[in-house]
This record gives sequence, C-alpha cells and structure tokens, in this order.
Amino acid sequence: MAAKIQPFDPPSSASSDSDLNEYRDVVGDISIALDNDDEESDSIISSSMSPSKQSNSAPSTVLVKSPRSTLRQRTTSVSQSTKKTASESVLQSHTRTIYTAGRPPWYNTAGQQVEPFVIGVCGGSASGKTTVARKIIESLNVPWVVLLSMDSFYKVLTAEQHEKAAHNEYNFDHPEAFDFELLTSTLQRLKDGKKVEVPIYNFVTHARETKTKTMYGANVIIFEGIMAFYNSDVLKMLDMKVFVDTDADIRLARRLKRDISQRGRDLQGVLKQYCNMVKPSFSHYIAPSMIHADIIVPRGGDNTVAIELIVRHVHKQLQARGFKLRETLAMSYIGQPLPSSIHLLPSTPQTQGLHTFIRNKDTPKDEFIFYSKRLIRLVIEFALSLLPFKDVIVDTPQCVPYSGKRCASDKICGVSILRAGETMEQAVCDVCKDIRIGKILIQTNRSTGEPELYYLRLPKDIKDYMVILMDATVATGAAAMMAIRVLLDHDVPEENILLVSLLMAESGVHTIAYAFPQVRIVTSAVDPEINEKFHVLPGIGNFGDRYFGTEPEEYISS
Amino acid sequence: MSAQCEKVNSTSPSCEFGPKLKLLRSNDQVRELQTILRDKNTSRTDFKFYADRLIRLVIEESLNQLPFDTCMVMTPTGNYYKGTKYQRGNCGVSIVRSGEAMEQGLRDCCRSIRIGKILVESDSDTHEARVVYAKFPHDIADRKVLLMYPIMSTGNTVIKAVNVLKEHRVAEDNIILSNLFTTPIAAQTITTAFPLMTILTSELYHIAPNHFGQKYFGTD
Repeated sequence: MAAKIQPFDPPSSASSDSDLNEYRDVVGDISIALDNDDEESDSIISSSMSPSKQSNSAPSTVLVKSPRSTLRQRTTSVSQSTKKTASESVLQSHTRTIYTAGRPPWYNTAGQQVEPFVIGVCGGSASGKTTVARKIIESLNVPWVVLLSMDSFYKVLTAEQHEKAAHNEYNFDHPEAFDFELLTSTLQRLKDGKKVEVPIYNFVTHARETKTKTMYGANVIIFEGIMAFYNSDVLKMLDMKVFVDTDADIRLARRLKRDISQRGRDLQGVLKQYCNMVKPSFSHYIAPSMIHADIIVPRGGDNTVAIELIVRHVHKQLQARGFKLRETLAMSYIGQPLPSSIHLLPSTPQTQGLHTFIRNKDTPKDEFIFYSKRLIRLVIEFALSLLPFKDVIVDTPQCVPYSGKRCASDKICGVSILRAGETMEQAVCDVCKDIRIGKILIQTNRSTGEPELYYLRLPKDIKDYMVILMDATVATGAAAMMAIRVLLDHDVPEENILLVSLLMAESGVHTIAYAFPQVRIVTSAVDPEINEKFHVLPGIGNFGDRYFGTEPEEYISS
Repeated sequence: MSAQCEKVNSTSPSCEFGPKLKLLRSNDQVRELQTILRDKNTSRTDFKFYADRLIRLVIEESLNQLPFDTCMVMTPTGNYYKGTKYQRGNCGVSIVRSGEAMEQGLRDCCRSIRIGKILVESDSDTHEARVVYAKFPHDIADRKVLLMYPIMSTGNTVIKAVNVLKEHRVAEDNIILSNLFTTPIAAQTITTAFPLMTILTSELYHIAPNHFGQKYFGTD
C-alpha cells in the first residue's frame, strides 16, 4: 500500500510520506479556507497549473460544481494548502486545535471499530456546503475528521464528452455525471474504518489520475456534494443529513462574481451555462432531495444557530460511542488465568539469566544490548515456529528420502512498532531472508495518556502476508491494539497476526486477547503489574530508552 | 548437573540412551531447519544460513546445561526481580573442521568465551581416528567444557576428542557435547563410553547428513 502513495507535496519533510499526511492535506484545505476569503486565487495561476498539481484536488473546500474553470480554481487552493501544512503537524482554528499530528483511537476498549458518524451535506452549486462543513469541523473540536467530496467521483469522460466539456456543453450537474457505484463502496469502506483509495479526478483530461488519495475512516466523516442525497444507498449511510438552502439569486450572484471577476469569463457564457444546466439540474435533482434532510440550513455558513445545533447532536452521538481508552484498559482483567492465545517462550536457565541482565538497572549499556539481542533472537525463533507448516519429503545427498517440514507460507513480513519494536527488526532479518519490514509509529499523548498514530509504512499487499508485529514491551496493550487495528484496517486477517514482544504485563495480555482472540501473542515473560506511568512491574524500565541510550537524566545519574 | 537444573530443563531426555542424552525441544520451525539442511537441492548460501540458525538454537540449549545461581536484581522501576546468574569458568572446544562451524554461534552467545580446538583425522589406510592437534586454555581442567561437533555417524571422532580432554584432566561430567545430528549407533557408542557426559543434539536419526562440513565450508 505504502508504495502506491506518492507524497505529492515536495516541500514537506520526512513525515510527509506518511499516510497520515493524507489526512493533513484534507484538513489543510480547511485551514486555507479559514485564512482566505471563500474565493481565493487568480485564474492565471490556476490555469497554468499542471495536471499533476491538479491531482490534489479531491476533497477541496472551494465550492465548485460544473464549469471547468471553476474546477481548476480548486487546485490552487490545494497546492497552497500543502505548502502551508507541510510544516505543521498541529492546526489551530481560532484558538482551538482541530487536528493533532497523531491519530487517536478510532475503536473502543474491546478493539472493535467504533462506527464513525457520517454527516451528509447537500445543496445547490455555490450554496455554501463546504463553508458549512468547515464550520462544523471547527466547532466539533474532534481531532480526526475526513471530508469527502463528491467531486472525486465524476465519471471518466469519453473523447466525445471531453470535447463537449471543452465548450461548456457537458452537464456536470447531472446525476449521470457521477460514478455512484464507486462512491457507495468508498463511503461504505470509510464507514467500516477501512482504508480507501479515493480517486483523484483530473478536470483537464476528465479522467482519473493513476495516483489515488488514501483515506481512513475517522471519528466523523463529512460527505458533501450537490447530489449527496440523490442515491438511496448513499442516503442510508448518512447518520445526519444537512441541506444547505441558499436562495437562487445569491447562488447565481456568487457564481457570476466568481466566474467573471476572478476567471475572466463573459457574462453571456456564464448565464448560458447557468440557465441551460445548473438551474434545471437544481430544480430537477437537488431541490427535491431536500425532503431527505434532517436539518435545513438557510443562508449557509452564516447560520451559526443551525451549526451549533448540528454540533451538539454530533457530540452527543460521539459520546455515546465512546473513545477513552488507556485507563480503561489498565484496570480490567486482574487475576484471571492467562488466555489461550498466548505463547510463552519456554523458560530455561538461559532465558532467566538473560532476563536478569536486561532487567537489572545496573547492567551496562553494551551488555544490555547484547543480552537483549540474544533474548529477542530466541523469541523470534519461537514465534516462527507458530507459523503454518506443511509436511514435505526431500531428497538427500545420502540418497535416502527424508520426510520433514517446510513453512507453508512464503509471505512473511515484520511490522515494528516504533521505537522499541525496531530493536527486534534485526533478529527478524537474521532469521528470515529478505523479509519485508513495515513500521508503525505510535506515541502516547502526554496530556491525555492516549496512544496516537503518527506514521505508517506497510508493504503494499500486506493483506496477503503473515505479519509478525513487534514491540519490545507491552504494558496496557494500547499501542499494540492500535497497531493490530491498523493491520485489520488493511485487511490482514486477524489469525495471520503474531504479536511478538519480550515482556508483557498481564493486563495487556488480557486486553489484547479479549479484543483480538485470534491474534497469537508471543512473549518471553509476563509481569503482574503496571504502574501509574504505564510501565510494567517489576519490568525492564523503558526498553527503547535503555537500548538507544536516551534515558532521562535522573536515570543515568542514579 | 544439579537436580534443580533438570527440573527447568526444556529438553527431554531420550530414555533409550539414558538421561544424559538430551534432545533439543522440537517444533515445526526446528523441523524445517533440519529439512533444509538435509535437502540436497538446498543452495550453499541457504545451507550456511539455516545451519547457522540451527547451530544458534543448539548452542543456546547447550548453555542451559551449564550450572547457575539464583540472584536478586533491582529493575529501573525500583522493583526487585528474582533472576538467575550464570556461573563462570566455562569454555568451548571445537573439533576441527565441522565443529568450527559452531564457534560463531557460541561467540554470538558468549562474547569472550575461551575456545580450544582439537584436530582428529582418520588415517586413510586404517580408517582409524587419531588426534593430530589439540590446543586448550591452560586451566581447562577446572572448567566446564562445551564440546562442539555437529554430525556424528559412528561417534569415533568424538571418542578420541573426549579422551584427549580427559587426558587434560577434564572431568567427564564437566563435558557437554553440542551436536546437530546424531545416529542411534553413535549415541549408543558414546553414552556407553562416557556415561557421565551430557550430550545435546537436535535430531536422532539413522542417517547422518555427512555432507555438512563440505557444504558448509564449500569444499565439495
């Protein structure tokens, strides 16, 4: 998967190639809309944009429906936004943070996907749908929101249609112009919390870019488009339906202003298009869909009362679904027998001795690394023995056939949870030739104590692999659960995941086993307790810090 | 070997040859390694790679035959952990040539362990094994000795080597033989000759993969 995603914002640095950045782009669009007037950019720049830059356009904020020139304009907003967001991991809207760099849990304490809340925003062209969507996001103060625009789902045009479009004669305001099948499946996958590839529509070639935009299901999904309520399958997926009802004269005035003063088009052309396509389409398809709406918002984004009502409702829904994770995890399952999905490395004098070395706070760093590596190697070898095997008969140089075993799966990959999990990569590479290694960075948010997902790089077709998920220590299991959830979202079957670590806390084992009973848990020791810092007791301290030598000062001096 | 050690041992003694012959705990993974080493179609790179993996496992298990003490340490969280401490005074001895393939595995586990060598050659005329060369740490008599030799089909070479060690006043029960593949005949011969020596192997099978040394070192 990861390989498919080309980072399309060259100025951005290391973190930009993360999938999460995709989300950043989405929110980035919003930030632009906040900073600039609704109608930004000039047509000279926008018309000189190359198709590849246009590719960023998928969920743009600029309200655009049919004419090509308006569609072009959106690309400018995106290219600006990527420039702007590249350096920012945290985005402020007014005084509030609407997005932090890491993705917080999107599943409940049982590891099950919490269904996101889907808001549909419908309304005529230039009615202010995106303004409303943006204001909702701003007021929601939910850190993870996906904004999906219907514009990504325009159909690929034939040569003939392409020609018509060039003369402003192709009707982009007609239901026929949209690929509802793809739209439905994409929205459904997002709703299931799965990864989706949203097509990027190129408004110059009227075809889809070869690249796609990767999105994940979020806590809240906002879907906006002129035909948002047209398809009954889509309608069923919307938890809340908002119709933005702006007077026709205001919408026409906006279009005229935008097309003439900013794009240098003539009054006749704009009016002709409006009368022949935009207006009839509105009366035929858009206005009648208003009956599906739960809330009709007159005057669009200026209607603060309506937006406040919407936000209050969404908050109530989200609360009912529940997202607080870590503390709940640490509390449960005390004193239960260990689950059957755990596979403990048989204890021997050597493994006990190795544990003694790495647990001892006075062990010098070189010895700590050396003995950790030995123990890791044993744990990895043990984990490999849990893979599926098949019986084989081989020929020997002694000319007597030998019946033995071979691994039944040649597709094995390692995924390490940064940073401590990386210490186990070498051992996996030492025992599996040419193994692919994916990485997931999960950090604990210091203020909330919640795990947050920051970075993700996985082999493209990871769903076909047996995955050895590595983390050196598992305390509450919150990070491991998030990593497993990410793998499941990438369609890796649960039974194909092996969670491998050196040391686990009992509660973490129970949590993971309860949430994902088919994930096999492999470790060399299980400790009984966790302290208030979520460290395992008696434990080994912060494994990553000790291995990489980044302990805080008080540790070193003591 | 103390009784305490026997209890925590993960290896199962093979009853047929007495309690001193121990088998590496087998699992599918170990079986795969053995299969790859037996397969005549295995490339030399693969052979060395998988041989080193199996050696590492055998060495780790051999080290489990060494004595240890219990001890108490404090963890960085300020709690105590009841652990074990290896005893000092061990050394390795490899039987040239194929035994040297196991030296790296031992080094990877014990960074500064002393390693001695014995060269046993069989006379081309009489097929009788004789010791050509032996070099040991000077205080080998006071040490536990990990004797490394991967393949045993008759056991003659090992008998010669153990005799040399005994000549250097190493106690028979201080010797642990680390082995990958052995035949029942060799196992019988050795356990009869040295009933006090501990033997650890990964597989007891009537045909020994005699190509091991040649394929590992690439001299076939």
